[in-house]
Amino acid sequence: MEIKNIDRYWNPVLETLPREQLRAMQFNKFKRIVEWGYNNSKMYRRIYDAAGFQPGDVKNWDDIYTVPTLQKEDYRSAQAKDPWPYGDSLCVPLEKVTEYHQTSGTTGQPVYQPDTWQDWEWWNESWAYILWSQGFRNTDRVFIPFGYNIFVAYWAGHYACEKVGCEVVPGGILNTEERLLKIQELKATALMATPTYVLSMADTCRRVLGKEASELTVRRILCAGEPGASIPTTKKRMEEAWGAKVFDHVGATEIGAWAYECSFQPGGMHANEALFLVELVDIDTGKPIEELNRPGKIVITAFDRFAQPCIRFDSKDVSMWGEPCACGRSFRLLKGGVHGRVDHITKVKGVLFSPISVEEVVRGMPQFGDEYELVVSKKGDVDVITLKVELLPQAGVTPEEVQPELERQLRLKTNLAYKIEFHPFGSLPRYEIKAKRFKDLRQHG
Amino acid sequence: MLSAQIDLREMDAIIKEVKAGILKLMELSGGMQCVDRNCERILAGIKMLEINVSDLQDVME
Repeated sequence: MEIKNIDRYWNPVLETLPREQLRAMQFNKFKRIVEWGYNNSKMYRRIYDAAGFQPGDVKNWDDIYTVPTLQKEDYRSAQAKDPWPYGDSLCVPLEKVTEYHQTSGTTGQPVYQPDTWQDWEWWNESWAYILWSQGFRNTDRVFIPFGYNIFVAYWAGHYACEKVGCEVVPGGILNTEERLLKIQELKATALMATPTYVLSMADTCRRVLGKEASELTVRRILCAGEPGASIPTTKKRMEEAWGAKVFDHVGATEIGAWAYECSFQPGGMHANEALFLVELVDIDTGKPIEELNRPGKIVITAFDRFAQPCIRFDSKDVSMWGEPCACGRSFRLLKGGVHGRVDHITKVKGVLFSPISVEEVVRGMPQFGDEYELVVSKKGDVDVITLKVELLPQAGVTPEEVQPELERQLRLKTNLAYKIEFHPFGSLPRYEIKAKRFKDLRQHG
Repeated sequence: MLSAQIDLREMDAIIKEVKAGILKLMELSGGMQCVDRNCERILAGIKMLEINVSDLQDVME
């Protein structure tokens, strides 16, 4: 067979496979991993037996939706017992496990994640699809300004860089200034970081090194951990600050790296449908969503991860299907990337509210700094949203001059009114990795 | 724009041969860890070739 644009794709056959064939392959792989989970994990067997489900029940595509979904809580309750610490979720002998990582535990007890060497190779493979699609090549020197630790973040990115042929510089425990100096010294061409840290590094570069980050040699940045690289105004700020192309991707410890933005920057991310079954389901009913532009939550199956399989895992990420991308991939596009998490998208004054919409407005107005904070509270029976912002000293405007335009854009974007607070530049919290800019105080009385 | 002729079937046949060779090597190792552990690593790489090439066979025919 003849393959065109062979250099555009990591796997030019799989990434452009006609949908019908892709679905057939996904169905075969889905059945295989369901059987594997049921036969090798007490956790899956318990969950499936309780639901009256047997792997043999999956006979056609629609049967996929009858397989019970897996919650983070299921992992937690199966773990912290022998074989320590993975307990009933482990599907291989403990001596086959070569990699340990864990979730951050922000929503409770961390989930322990075992991987065999083959699973780890698979993690890196999923990242190789991402890196190649974003133009990372063996001519790149990639700087990773991240404190490597028990969390999976950027470990797989590091190994996948090696697989793709890049030269990797581990920027581990250096501070921000030292990292910038090392990027400058080595003439690094690419970077991987959270959007918050990408902007923070650019700010430090300006303040401490006395130069713009765009004067360095970084021309490609891969973001993760926060949705910023899929928010057009935040992406624009990062791209202008660094003079680089900025790309998004999404992954999770229990799942793998399951979606990525390609070099066409189509305003969304491709679900990697070669390695994952990515379902979009109605948040309330769990029914599958196939139509475009309708938000739902993502349920994911990793086809080829075996030590602790991830089968119909409720990611709680919210997104929507979009129009196909011009890059030629048949992998579906998640328009706008991940819009947030089900537990962050909340009703305020009866209106569905996503904090990401506010970021899009604040970062779209050049008078404001990168930092902001959102607090939802209750005054009597009324919800109040307070937006704290900082004016850039060089903007040369007063709060009174910009407030009406900020309020107008916020209302247009979110259909809500805000109490605006102006804070001195540099006084709002700065974050090194992931930011916590949204606080909902209503749940705490 | 680069294009190329590829033969997935032939590639799959070679992947199977390589895998068989590595499994044979493990049989012959007598438990030599320097052989077994390196073979384990190679098998993990072969699995990625299976995912990228061999697993397509069923739906391409």
